[in-house]
Amino acid sequence: MIQMYHVDLRYAGGTYGLRDVSLVLERGDFVFLTGASGAGKTSLLRLLFGAEKPSAGQILVAGRNITRLPAAQIPHLRRQIGVIFQDFKLLTERSVFENVAIALEIAGASRSEIRTRVWSMLKRLGLGHRIDHKPRMLSGGEQQRVAIARALVNDPPLLLADEPTGNLDPALALDIMDIIADAHARGTTVVVATHDPALLERYRHRRVVLDGGRLVSERSPDEYSGGLRQLGATRA
Amino acid sequence: MIDVRLTRRIRAALRSGARGARERPLVFALAVATMAGGLLVLGTYMLVVANLRGVLARAGADLRLVAFTDFGASTPAAQVGALEARMRAQDGVAELEYVAPDEALARLRTDLGPDAGVLDGLDHNPLPGAFEIAPPRDVRDPAQLRALADRIRALPGVTEVRWGEPWVEGYARVVRIAEWLGAGLGAFLLFVLGAIVASTVRLSLHARADEIQIQRLVGAGGWFVRLPFCLEGALQGMLAALLALAVLRGLFALGLPLLGDALAWVLGGQPAIFFGAAESAALIGLGVLLGLGGTLASLVNLDERA
Repeated sequence: MIQMYHVDLRYAGGTYGLRDVSLVLERGDFVFLTGASGAGKTSLLRLLFGAEKPSAGQILVAGRNITRLPAAQIPHLRRQIGVIFQDFKLLTERSVFENVAIALEIAGASRSEIRTRVWSMLKRLGLGHRIDHKPRMLSGGEQQRVAIARALVNDPPLLLADEPTGNLDPALALDIMDIIADAHARGTTVVVATHDPALLERYRHRRVVLDGGRLVSERSPDEYSGGLRQLGATRA
Repeated sequence: MIDVRLTRRIRAALRSGARGARERPLVFALAVATMAGGLLVLGTYMLVVANLRGVLARAGADLRLVAFTDFGASTPAAQVGALEARMRAQDGVAELEYVAPDEALARLRTDLGPDAGVLDGLDHNPLPGAFEIAPPRDVRDPAQLRALADRIRALPGVTEVRWGEPWVEGYARVVRIAEWLGAGLGAFLLFVLGAIVASTVRLSLHARADEIQIQRLVGAGGWFVRLPFCLEGALQGMLAALLALAVLRGLFALGLPLLGDALAWVLGGQPAIFFGAAESAALIGLGVLLGLGGTLASLVNLDERA
């Protein structure tokens, strides 16, 4: 699903967001990008949905080399990717329904299809009763669920989440992660950037550790399964 | 075949634009009012030029060239007929009438009215025979009339040709200058108005920055973002032109009685005219182009901002 080869991201002024990062994600993978603030997690996600262009290296997403993708093709790429942000990025003057529907409108879905799919998605995420509310009337957890609904309503094959639980209390954070895990169980490839150790310990997935823009280590679930099993038993 | 998804996206973009305009009525109204003000100035000038041109056209409709001859009352009719035939053969002569010396004297008596007695002391008729020539209706340009006058003057028996040259040429020059000034003023106004529209759209872009960013993040293409702004700009331009036309019509109706004699003098006693359907449509088209052009100018760098 994602292949990155020796990718550099250099900003104006000469500072590096990423340096020589190589990474391969198979279809259906669930990967945590982790590291301290400024390690390059957000930069890596921005490269994957075409918000940044690498200074060097190659990136393939769903078989398409996005480093060579013309600007006009970026919207097509983004319609294949659901993105969740720490600050939700919701339209404050639009209803919950409209916030979710925007992804389907842009994809060219019919109005009846939009109604059906948005309603179904909001119901699945426990927001059926909030459909006509404005985001400011919702709690932080509900707002993030709206953002997730918008990211998933298109059934994208790839979901990118940038600190999706960063603004939420621990109980809500687990709720949100459960929704993301559910999307993964339905076949979506998931990349979650987080520096929350509790999440990393709770969910048993591959971890990619970044530091100063470099990929410093990768750990598969098997390498820390014992600890995870223990935590999982505690929560259960 | 029409792509169904594309038409749905276009409809969604239009809905997004309409919603944007509803959410920012003040910015929308400000843009319309600003453009209407500029178009009103431009429309006023266009109206003045149209009326000046109308005077020239109407004066041209009554235009006659008078070719004086050396014919007297005793000149044989055959000689008169021969010159008349040569004049009729000239390119640019639509109608022709010979005014014999006796008839010319009778007309002079009529024109002099109560002062006609001054002619009683004449021992002979000093007036020569003359031809009154009407050029075709499509020949009204001073250069064309001068060329015709020169050809008539060159005919044997013709002593002088008069056609109100100083007045026609002077008026045509005024109209020409007014048209050039109008073009210059129009270009300047369009540039200024375009810049104002572009600034207004930038305000809208700024106000909708979050929405545009989110649209882009979920896969909106450049045209999806641009289309609503372009339609909004074109609509603003059209409404501004209609408003300018309405205000101009009102001012025209109110101002005519106030200007009275001064206007009658400038227009040579002819009534002032307002825009016809073609001119009104042109002003509305100009408004639409203005709104569209200003919007496109402000959207050039949208990709880099979004």
